[in-house]
Amino acid sequence: MIRTEDIHKHFGALHVLRGITLEVTRGDVLVIIGPSGSGKSTFLRCINLLVRPDEGRVFIDGVQVNRADIRPEWVRQQVGMVFQSFNLFTHLTALENVALGPIRVKKAPRDEAETKARQLLARVGLAAKEQSYPAELSGGQQQRVAIARALAMDPKAMLFDEPTSALDPEYIREVLDVMANLAHEGMTMIVVTHEMGFASSVASRIVFMDGGIILEEGRPLDIFEHPKNERTRAFVSKILR
Amino acid sequence: MAVATEHVGRTRAPPIFSLSNAARIVEMVIGGLLLISIMSVVLKFDIRDPRLWAGYGPNFVRGFWGTLGYIALILPISVGVGFAAGWARVSGHRMLAWPAGAFVDFFRGVPPIVVILFAFLFGVDFIPLRVQLFLQDVFGTSSNSLPFTLAAFAVAFHSGAYQAEIFRAGFQSISRGQIEAAEALGMRHFQTMRSIILPQTVRLSLPPLGNEFAVLIKDTSLLGALGATELVGLSQEFTAQIPISGGQIVWAFAIWSSVALTYFVMTFLVTRLLRLIERRFRTPGLDVMSL
Ligand SMILES: Nc1ncnc2c1ncn2[C@@H]1O[C@H](COP(=O)(O)OP(=O)(O)OP(=O)(O)O)[C@@H](O)[C@H]1O
Ligand SMILES: [Mg+2]
Repeated sequence: MIRTEDIHKHFGALHVLRGITLEVTRGDVLVIIGPSGSGKSTFLRCINLLVRPDEGRVFIDGVQVNRADIRPEWVRQQVGMVFQSFNLFTHLTALENVALGPIRVKKAPRDEAETKARQLLARVGLAAKEQSYPAELSGGQQQRVAIARALAMDPKAMLFDEPTSALDPEYIREVLDVMANLAHEGMTMIVVTHEMGFASSVASRIVFMDGGIILEEGRPLDIFEHPKNERTRAFVSKILR
Repeated sequence: MAVATEHVGRTRAPPIFSLSNAARIVEMVIGGLLLISIMSVVLKFDIRDPRLWAGYGPNFVRGFWGTLGYIALILPISVGVGFAAGWARVSGHRMLAWPAGAFVDFFRGVPPIVVILFAFLFGVDFIPLRVQLFLQDVFGTSSNSLPFTLAAFAVAFHSGAYQAEIFRAGFQSISRGQIEAAEALGMRHFQTMRSIILPQTVRLSLPPLGNEFAVLIKDTSLLGALGATELVGLSQEFTAQIPISGGQIVWAFAIWSSVALTYFVMTFLVTRLLRLIERRFRTPGLDVMSL
């Protein structure tokens, strides 16, 4: 479904990604953990080409997408993204936020797009908030709208970059529940998160990234209970307490 | 955080012409007339003197329409120039940002009357003869009126420089994250511009633009110093003739009160209109207070 081969990325002199090779099969939920600055966000952005890898190849459904003859806009329609800071469009209601992508990018008729947006908002538990502006919503509600907005494009896979790190503790649950439901419905997902409860119950695999490389990879139980790498062990013991 | 949990619909649009606005203008007009009458008693002259109005009336009407014409010319140009320069400054292209920055700095640093004089006196020399002829053919501008048009452009550029800063602030207040979110949906540059950046910039810019429009309306009076057909210039022309024509010097009081009142009503209407538009499009989280 999503495959990366030997991804490298430099920011000036900084070598942020030093050869990331990964494969996520359909319906998989891959969780990426790792210390701050290890390149997790940069790697996610390489997948939907918000950041262009300097070297290496990104495949979606077997097609290499980081090629000059493939428009990045097309790639981004295939893969939804949810950000740490929600990034809802301030001037639009929840409904308009969700419907905008299909209307503008897919040229869907407005009423069709809005009907679908209503269904998606209901799915994330926000049917009553259609007409609310982002400033009128709690963080948890904003993030759920953001998830619905990404889903509205019918993506083949979803990328989540620390979706609950900016939330007050009381709103984390509702967002993780929506994500867990999505996973159970079979959505292919790559999630950067340090929510260990979510990772151990939902993830099919966990990847530990440090210094721009993958240090360890395995099932949740292996990583959390029996990490092989010394750095993984130190990191896991730090976030588990 | 979780206060806004009740259903919130779009705020109902306020009526464009509210009673309180009309009342404010009526108040001002009555107040102005009252002041003029009182002063005419104190200064001992007849405000209804037919010699005054027969002489000044035509000047006032001609000046008023002239001023409206200049506003109609200058306002759209200034917004266009201001928007373009504001955008150029945040475009990230040095070849655009640098000239735009120089433009803003220049027009903010030089008194408008000086720029206007330059444009009036020397502007024509910079316009190729072929373009001058073209303008004459298309707009019917005579070679006499061209310097005035160029002076009007100077006013527009002066205001445009200030508006550029307003638009720049609007552009810059849109979070990088929202632009990235639009990109992540697969929007192209111009779609992001049209659907995300423009609507928010315009909304954020409306209140300061209202102030700037008021300044611009008043600045058109500078053209009177060149002898352009506009309210202040023609009023000054008549005032200067009063002693020669055997009128009373205190007429000047009535004349300049009328002029002041006219500018007040014009700026008042424009700023109120903008405020109403702004209120109609008000969005929670997108007002100046929340910046
Ligand atoms: N656009 C950019 N320009 C320059 N440097 C960047 C850019 N984006 C990221 N970096 C740098 O690359 C490194 C990796 O950043 P990245 O955001 O991918 O880390 P991360 O693992 O997501 O960290 P965090 O847990 O703090 O989100 C950091 O040192 C960061 O400063
Ligand atoms: Mg990050």
